[in-house]
Amino acid sequence: MSDALSEDGSDINQDDSREEDVMTPVELIAKLEEAWLNEKFSPELLENKSEVVECVMEQLTHMEANLQRVKKGDAKASIHRMEIDRIRFVLSSYLRSRLQKIEKFFPHVLEKEKSRREGDTSLLSPEEFAFAKEYYTNTESYLKAVALKRMPPNLQTVDMLKAVPEPCLDSFVFLRVKERQENILVEPETDDQREYVVDLDEDSQHLMRYRTIAPFVSSGAVQLI
Amino acid sequence: MDPSEVEFLAEKEIVKIIPNFSLDKIYLIGGDLGPFNPGLQVDVPVWLALNLKQRQKCRIVPPEWMDVDKLEEMRDLERREDAFTPVPSPYYMELTKLLLNYASDNIPKADEIRTLVKDIWDTRIAKLRLSADSFISQMEAHAKLDNLTLMEINTIRSFLLDSLNCMYKLRSNLQPGSSKGQLTDY
Repeated sequence: MSDALSEDGSDINQDDSREEDVMTPVELIAKLEEAWLNEKFSPELLENKSEVVECVMEQLTHMEANLQRVKKGDAKASIHRMEIDRIRFVLSSYLRSRLQKIEKFFPHVLEKEKSRREGDTSLLSPEEFAFAKEYYTNTESYLKAVALKRMPPNLQTVDMLKAVPEPCLDSFVFLRVKERQENILVEPETDDQREYVVDLDEDSQHLMRYRTIAPFVSSGAVQLI
Repeated sequence: MDPSEVEFLAEKEIVKIIPNFSLDKIYLIGGDLGPFNPGLQVDVPVWLALNLKQRQKCRIVPPEWMDVDKLEEMRDLERREDAFTPVPSPYYMELTKLLLNYASDNIPKADEIRTLVKDIWDTRIAKLRLSADSFISQMEAHAKLDNLTLMEINTIRSFLLDSLNCMYKLRSNLQPGSSKGQLTDY
């Protein structure tokens, strides 16, 4: 049996190099973890990484299928299972934190999706988009059923965009720099302070406003921590 | 972030173990491990090392920095310097806790190490509180935090960030005419 597993293991690697030369499974998992931490710490919903999610899912199902063929109590299989559980944890925690943000900011998320130009990549995966829409309809009909329909007619509508707080892009975040960035403008806290510029050296860690560095989070030049 | 999630990340760090069984190379999604031969050192992630240790299938070789002399030196340096000194591992606290909890019989002078690491941690956290205090009282907009570990950041994260947000809202309401001043909470 251990033969079956090692063969399958190398199969996975070969598969990958054939399909896309750019990412090995190791890099793929690193990408997932990056996306997980960024999503956890950024105040707004980030672009969805459905490509990474799908690849990881594929790896997991592939590995699980292999493990099906292995008899119980095999030493290697239990190690593989532990690894699968760890990856699955990161994956579901990532997807969960996205759903939480969608629930928190749904009108703004949908608004952004509406104003998206043709050809731009969507913030949401198709499943997340369906979830956001359904959440919107449900919240609306709930509000109607419980309160709004008993209101005077002129008060029966609610503007969701105004009723739900926007993500606060001015929050502070902790970050680690992966690619050096120069001349980042730091806005002053109060009127009597001056604005100034800082350089972000590679591997240095900083505490600053999300708004200032938001573009670098999506480009992957900085990692939120 | 939950401290257990930081610990989860720490469990990816690599340690050396001495297995007492033999096993071929394992092809994990996150990289290859092994082969395992009895008595021969091999690199594995901490999560696997702890699992094998709990099943009494290996001895864990403590990381080089987990040594009383080195840690004493670090503690003294940390107390002397005003700034944060470089740490031996980005997860020094979590690794100490994990390894000492599950493999204390493989680590010489485990109790002394526990106390030393706790001393280093306490000194660093005290510094962290001081700098957070001056960050807020001087109303800074940017801080450099080199040499801080994730666990250390995590201990003040929610408190510091929430306070900063609150103060930001209060302050921007004091400046009339600023478009940033709208309260976002309803």
